[in-house]
Amino acid sequence: MFVIVAGGGRTGTQLASLLLAQDHTVHLVEYRPEILARIHYEIPTESIYEGSPTNPQILEQAGIRKADVIAATTDNDADNLSICFIARERYQVGRTIARVNNPRAAWLFDDKFHVDVSFNNAEVMANLIMEEMSMGDMMTLLKLRRGRYSLVEEKIPPTARVLGQAIKDIRFPEQCVIAAIIRNGEIVVPRGATLFEADDEVLAVTDRAGAQQLAELFKPAAPH
Amino acid sequence: MNVIVVGCGRVGAELAYRMFINGHRVCVIDHSQNAFRDLPPDFRGRTMEGDVLSEAVLHRADIAHADALAAVTSSDSLNGVVGRVARTIYNVPIVAVRNYDPQRRELVEAFGMQVVSSSSWGAQRMEELLEGGSVHPLISAGNGEVEICDLMVPPAWEGRTVQELAQCGSCIVAAVTRAGRGLLPTSDMRLQAGDMVHVSATPEGMAALRQAVC
Repeated sequence: MFVIVAGGGRTGTQLASLLLAQDHTVHLVEYRPEILARIHYEIPTESIYEGSPTNPQILEQAGIRKADVIAATTDNDADNLSICFIARERYQVGRTIARVNNPRAAWLFDDKFHVDVSFNNAEVMANLIMEEMSMGDMMTLLKLRRGRYSLVEEKIPPTARVLGQAIKDIRFPEQCVIAAIIRNGEIVVPRGATLFEADDEVLAVTDRAGAQQLAELFKPAAPH
Repeated sequence: MNVIVVGCGRVGAELAYRMFINGHRVCVIDHSQNAFRDLPPDFRGRTMEGDVLSEAVLHRADIAHADALAAVTSSDSLNGVVGRVARTIYNVPIVAVRNYDPQRRELVEAFGMQVVSSSSWGAQRMEELLEGGSVHPLISAGNGEVEICDLMVPPAWEGRTVQELAQCGSCIVAAVTRAGRGLLPTSDMRLQAGDMVHVSATPEGMAALRQAVC
């Protein structure tokens, strides 16, 4: 795949490194001298194009006409929107991805400016922190489907209400499935008849609402 | 008219004030409160501090009822984006955007709106003054892609035809003023020294004409 990364800040450079490690062709466009000085240590010189990513001539030099994907990762929302817009409008780039800096501008990051996918650091972080606060000991291992589903892990406390109950007898949330149980360091493949024991580590795939209900099911019984 | 001006730098402040003097209801938006200090003290329009890409800020500026919007910040991408939002999301009937950096003119033009390239246009006017001679630009269409100029016929061109003149600059001769009287030229009309010829041409055509005649 041939990817143009517009903007060489932390996000852009990290993305370019990951893509290069997977043998993709990457052209990174950046103009700020202080950043160029740094990224020359991290990215091979032939992948770096010096110039402003909002200058169409620079984008053409970086090969935008042949790019499969463009990722607009600058710290300026108007720049990212413009880059995606011109990439599709003028150069028919197949896939456009843009970084949202200010969540207030997030409403523009869709078809309006030919943005196929947007990622919003502030929102992802805020959601993560909120989940961590509400979920107690539940840990999110992996985000699936852009964060709508997660793989979570929770340890069953010795006073949990589900202890000694079979999976088939417990009412789990609609959008939730128990993927595995780790017991004494061994994986137990969950069946309907499997009983929960204290200190089981339960792995589940669930949506956000399901995660909350799951945390409720697994929490220690209130002392009388 | 309800007019929104985005960006209150030199151009924005001047534009907002002019529109206010012309009797329009003006709202100026800038991300910095300090920018409004450039507005003359008798300006009575609204000033609004805020990020113009925020939906809430646009609604506070009542963009849904705006008749015209000008995006004149010094960021070309912001001007293009705001202009497109006004045009396609809020259906603002008249939208004009400023192109600040000549290298980003194509970017701004890609959004498909009326663009005023103030830097290029200013440089071109200056260039004409420096190179000018006896050619004086009267009107420039668009951002100077076609210009209408006055040209004084020098003695060396006495007796040659309008067609000969038109061919050396691939231009169109619209009128000839001879001794204070306007004449509609035919292609075989013979020129006299001191005639004022009014021609329409591209900057390249004008340069060729200047070289051939002056």
